Amino acid sequence: MLDTVILIVFAMIGISLLLNVWRLLVGPSVPDRILALDTMYINSIALIILYGINMGTELYFEAALLIAMLGFVSTVAVCKYLLRGDIIE
Amino acid sequence: MTLLWIPLLSLLGSIISSMTGKLSRNQSTTLSLIMPIIALFMCVNMAPAVFAGEEIRETISWLPLLGINIAFRLDGLALLFVFMILAIGILVIFYARYYLSKNDSMPKLYSYLMLFMTAMLGIVMSNNVIQLWFFWELTSISSFLLISYWWYKSEARKGALMALTITGGGGLALLAGLLILGNIVGSYNLDIILASKEVIQASQWYEVSLILILLGAFTKSAQFPFHFWLPHAMAAPTPVSAYLHSATMVKAGIFLLARFYPVLAGTDLWFFIVSITGLTTLLFGAYVALFKHDLKGLLAYSTISHLGLITLLFGLNTDLATVAAIFHIINHATFKASLFMATGIIDHETGTRDMRKINGMWKFMPYTATLAMVAAASMAGVPLLNGFLSKEMFFAETLHQQLLGSLSWVIPVLATVAAAFSVAYSARFIHDVFFNGDPIDLPKQPHEPPRYMRVPIEILVALCLIVGIFPNFVVDDILVSASHAVLGGYVPEFKVALWHGFNLPLLMSAFAVMGGILIYTQRRYLFLFQASLPTVNAKKSFDNAIYVLIKWSQQKINAIENGSLQRYLMLMFLVVLLAAGWPLFEMNKLVGAKELTPIGLHNALGAALLMIGAISTVIWYRTRMVSLLMISVVGLMVSVAFTRFSAPDLALTQLTVEVVTIVLLMLALFFLPQHSPRESSSMRILRDLGISSALGIVIGSICYAIITRPFESISDFFVANSKTGGGGTNVVNVILVDFRGFDTLGEICVLGIAALGIYKLLGNLPLFMPGSDSEGRPWAKERYPVLLASISQSLLPLALLVSFYIFLRGHNLPGGGFIAGLITAIAFILQYIAHGSNWIAVRLTINYRKIIGSGLAIALFTGIGSWFFDKPFMTTWFDYFDIPFIGEIELASALLFDLGVYITVVGATLMILASLGELTANTPKEEVNI
Amino acid sequence: MELLYAACVGLLVFCGVFLILRSRTFPVVLGLTMLSYAVNLFLFASGRLSLNSAVILGESTKYADPLPQAFVLTAIVIGFAMTAFVVILSIRGRADLGNDHVNGHVPENIKKGRV
Repeated sequence: MLDTVILIVFAMIGISLLLNVWRLLVGPSVPDRILALDTMYINSIALIILYGINMGTELYFEAALLIAMLGFVSTVAVCKYLLRGDIIE
Repeated sequence: MTLLWIPLLSLLGSIISSMTGKLSRNQSTTLSLIMPIIALFMCVNMAPAVFAGEEIRETISWLPLLGINIAFRLDGLALLFVFMILAIGILVIFYARYYLSKNDSMPKLYSYLMLFMTAMLGIVMSNNVIQLWFFWELTSISSFLLISYWWYKSEARKGALMALTITGGGGLALLAGLLILGNIVGSYNLDIILASKEVIQASQWYEVSLILILLGAFTKSAQFPFHFWLPHAMAAPTPVSAYLHSATMVKAGIFLLARFYPVLAGTDLWFFIVSITGLTTLLFGAYVALFKHDLKGLLAYSTISHLGLITLLFGLNTDLATVAAIFHIINHATFKASLFMATGIIDHETGTRDMRKINGMWKFMPYTATLAMVAAASMAGVPLLNGFLSKEMFFAETLHQQLLGSLSWVIPVLATVAAAFSVAYSARFIHDVFFNGDPIDLPKQPHEPPRYMRVPIEILVALCLIVGIFPNFVVDDILVSASHAVLGGYVPEFKVALWHGFNLPLLMSAFAVMGGILIYTQRRYLFLFQASLPTVNAKKSFDNAIYVLIKWSQQKINAIENGSLQRYLMLMFLVVLLAAGWPLFEMNKLVGAKELTPIGLHNALGAALLMIGAISTVIWYRTRMVSLLMISVVGLMVSVAFTRFSAPDLALTQLTVEVVTIVLLMLALFFLPQHSPRESSSMRILRDLGISSALGIVIGSICYAIITRPFESISDFFVANSKTGGGGTNVVNVILVDFRGFDTLGEICVLGIAALGIYKLLGNLPLFMPGSDSEGRPWAKERYPVLLASISQSLLPLALLVSFYIFLRGHNLPGGGFIAGLITAIAFILQYIAHGSNWIAVRLTINYRKIIGSGLAIALFTGIGSWFFDKPFMTTWFDYFDIPFIGEIELASALLFDLGVYITVVGATLMILASLGELTANTPKEEVNI
Repeated sequence: MELLYAACVGLLVFCGVFLILRSRTFPVVLGLTMLSYAVNLFLFASGRLSLNSAVILGESTKYADPLPQAFVLTAIVIGFAMTAFVVILSIRGRADLGNDHVNGHVPENIKKGRV
């Protein structure tokens, strides 16, 4: 039962990741691409958690935690660059 | 530990005297004299034991695996040299007190002199050939410093450079020779080498090593054709010449001959090279000395000639010749040092060294004149003086050799001719300087020097006389024990005596004296003949040779190094391609024996994303912003790959580093142009594509070949001992902070150094700051968006909590100092982004340099701490404690080490990013288009 | 799976080297970053690939090789320090030389607008 669910969820995450990449590649504007990258971070969290569930271990959950926390920081840095150029001023 | 103290005391003396700059000249001299005098006393104390046949040894382990130890030994030969070096050194230091003028720096001369003394003592007492070579090079360097003592004189600088080039080059040859010798024997220990004569002489490498070692000895001892540096080294102050160029440094080459005589001598090659070189040098030096108008030049060539004499004696193939050689080493040191000092007095008192001007000094300084005349007579080999004794032995030995077969009679004849010339130049020294009419155009009115300036000469001349009249009384002991050391335990019957009856050597001496006087009286014709010969200017040819060499190398360098980084990189990649690709052709099958894993959906997806990211980075590399976003995808996928392949620690590290890298690249993006212009030609792009795809294929294939092969890992040890020995269950972290903690200490040092380098690079940096973004839109007006500011502020405590958690659990679960440090740094960076540097500076005054320093210090002292428990560096300690309410916890010294890592990482990361940000904080930005 | 992994490493090397050979500093920095990904993955792979076997004692029955992991961990951090140094160096180079060409000066034909 769980295996089937995992497979389905994996397919969904995979499709969404590929869609993210699609948006990242075609743009057209830079904010579009940034948004795509940020969503990609979120989807990788799901990917890692799913992998953990699949393998029955929680060792990798901290990686997901860090992506959640730090992905935000890199998105902030990129956005600040778009706004002001100088990110630490 | 007494032996070690002898060079150590002299080194200490060098340091002490360098600090006497503020004291008076007398105080400086007294302080400088203390250490060598103590060393001399210690040496005298040890002498009876050495005379009794003992060899004193001391060894300190240094690199035992490579056979390199700090080892000293004192046998008869070493003792003789140690005596000479210390005694003459003390006299020279005393003499220099009166020689130097008020403007010359006394501490400088003294500390260089004693540095040189240390080096010489090291050479003669070394029991390890590598160590011997080290001190050998130290003599070259310290003599360079001494010759260039008057650095403002061009000839001093050139002379010093020439001496350094020749003796330093010889030193390199010597090193090669010694390494070969050590390889033949299998040890660099001198004792072992000296005991393996048969092995060495049977080896096919014997000839090479012999020639290389002789090159070292001959360059140092100014043997023909390497003699020319010595006359130019006379630009040094006279005390230096007296010490280096008569008594000690030039004798280092002779010492080397004596030291290796037991193992290298005895073959035809040795005798052929050594004796012919010695004979040529003897004749050449004696002949040229006669024509030198400069007093020191005469003495320099005379020294060359006497060094040739000693070398010839070592090449004569008889035991007695060796004894004579050692005897002459002593005698030459005494009379030549005193002659140099006398010359110094004359130079000092008349202001010139030109013998055409200095005449009739007898009237002005009769006392000095007497001393100089006695010493010069000894140099000429006049009876009742020590020079006579060793010269007699020399003549006797030339008669006993059978070197040149039926032509062997040539050697004694030539020896007599050389001796005649030596008499002639000694006569010139005496007659020209002290008699021969009145002085011409002297810059100064000459008179006797200060009383104490003569004391060293008096002592040396007294020695010449005492040895000359009562030889057995003074030198028997030391001569026997030194010969004992050189001849390897066997000392021939010999008798040093004033009177051996009427024999052939005495006749040769008589001929030499008469011939010498004849040559001197008829010198006019010789001078005319010499003037008609083409002159060879050694300095000029040397300069030319050096110039040609430098020009040639410069051309070669320019041909390769044209200033284009792209070209260097291309060449480097090609080399990598060849080196890495070649073995692949010799491999039969790329895929190994390991069972392959099927491609899972996860992997396929991850790989696809990674490849798309990488390729689009390349495609969009001109639009820098976009390529930056693309490379983030690659970084993200690499971290996911680490989680996939069971490396949670790596995944965490990669994720955190990814964020700081993006922040850094954003900064780079701002300060660098936003677009790369299109400038590579199609051919260039094709070429680069070719190189990079070839490299990609080769590296990928190697990677495939590696991961498909089964292997044996040493990691089982770490897995087995991680819990029991290191107290942690996260093996990766235990390896970092415990098993290979020393590596980690090195890495955080590198991190700290990189951060400091960046800090330095940012000093006084003029910045280019674009007024608008890449599409020409002006920057937003709002510096610190409120939304961002408030969210990031609440994120800080949360992030610190996470980093604390990651840090603490690191020993047992994924995490640790590196990752926690990066998280903390990122949390602070976010505050910098949201609030700006000034806002932070008001709330938090931190000096990142101090943070890096304290982090390194914590890590280092944790490591050192184990010394206090008599454990090796960085031994971990851990134990379990039961704390009420919290339960059992583990405390480990590794945690403290990890704290050091943590602090260093925080400090370095923040310093790198924040110092760049701070640069712009206070420069008012041009608010364009508001 | 091994083949796919090796292909990824190869591709990263290809992209990294190509970018490093470009003539402006920013692509070179990107290339260095890319190459260090490749090198880290390569070194990591010398411990072979294994699934669900993190080296946390007691969590699993078989363990991946911890030694390459420890080395790669420090390599990642040092790699960051090196990238940072190169970035600052290129900023400094641009400030001092007035351009961001890796050779320190823009070739004449580029200045004139010809390729």
